[in-house]
Amino acid sequence: MNMRCEFARELIPDLVGGRLAAEEAARVGSHLETCDACRAEADFVRLLFASRPVAPRELVSRVREAVRAGEGSARRPWWGLAAAAVAVLALGIGVASRGATEATAPVPGFVAEGTAVNVWFADDGMIAGAPALDGLSDDALQALLDELGSGGTGGTA
Amino acid sequence: MRTGAAGETLSDAELVRRAQEGDELALEVLVERHQDAAFRVALSLVGDTDLAQDVVQDAFLKAFRALGGFRGEAAFRTWLLTITANAARGALRKQGRRREASLDAVGPVASTEVDPEESAVVGDEAARARAMLVDLPEKQRLAVQLRIDEGLSFREIGEVIGSTEGAARVNYFHGIHRLRERMER
Ligand SMILES: [Zn+2]
Repeated sequence: MNMRCEFARELIPDLVGGRLAAEEAARVGSHLETCDACRAEADFVRLLFASRPVAPRELVSRVREAVRAGEGSARRPWWGLAAAAVAVLALGIGVASRGATEATAPVPGFVAEGTAVNVWFADDGMIAGAPALDGLSDDALQALLDELGSGGTGGTA
Repeated sequence: MRTGAAGETLSDAELVRRAQEGDELALEVLVERHQDAAFRVALSLVGDTDLAQDVVQDAFLKAFRALGGFRGEAAFRTWLLTITANAARGALRKQGRRREASLDAVGPVASTEVDPEESAVVGDEAARARAMLVDLPEKQRLAVQLRIDEGLSFREIGEVIGSTEGAARVNYFHGIHRLRERMER
């Protein structure tokens, strides 16, 4: 019932990382007891695992602040709109014409978020197109995205 | 619905769902849960602690920005690490442009912090093994790092490095083989 080396080698990283269920860990462990080659590999993997770096302590707060800075006071999920905008702009689609037919009342949260959105896009060099999206409702953006996702390149067909 | 202190026990999928509904605390739990993994991926690609932090921040922002379109086919972690790897490559390209023709290569990984729980047992040998990672080709390096440090499956590793599951497995075993050979020298 000896486990094959190939199988043991695949699982060594999980054994070393404590990610195996007890039963499986025991199976791999007993293979290692009888197989010098796999045990040597496990010893090496253990060295690597033991020296894995961790993120500097300040990273969490850095990311948190960056996320908040982008969030503003929005009540609705800002990232959905932003993602939609990125996709639309990246594809270089003329939003305005379609927006004219589908735009509904301005989305309160989104208008207030204008500056935040600009901050996001400044980094990607996409800021120029952003105002075209102001009048679009979430649903209109989603519809546009769905169409772009399924329909290929044009959007003007 | 708010994600409270109990957030730590929620699955990623549940946290993502809450985050999509605008729950900021769910975002924070996701950051805390995955920042080490993202940092390690970034570090193994850019080789510099400060730049790696920039990359991780950038990657989280990109991920959260795109969360509305996240459909959950991939695990959040795999998805985040893929974004992180792409952000790291982008940062390297930028840096490359800035330092064009400079022989001042990306710095060594040596002075990085190590998990405090482990630091007592991390000897010279372990540090040496880790330092050798930088000499592997990128895909082998990532495959080894993702398999050992993060416990990703070969299928997930394939998603991150842009290869098949089989190629990810080959990259891992080649990488390990190469490292062990060098270690014995
Ligand atoms: Zn064996």
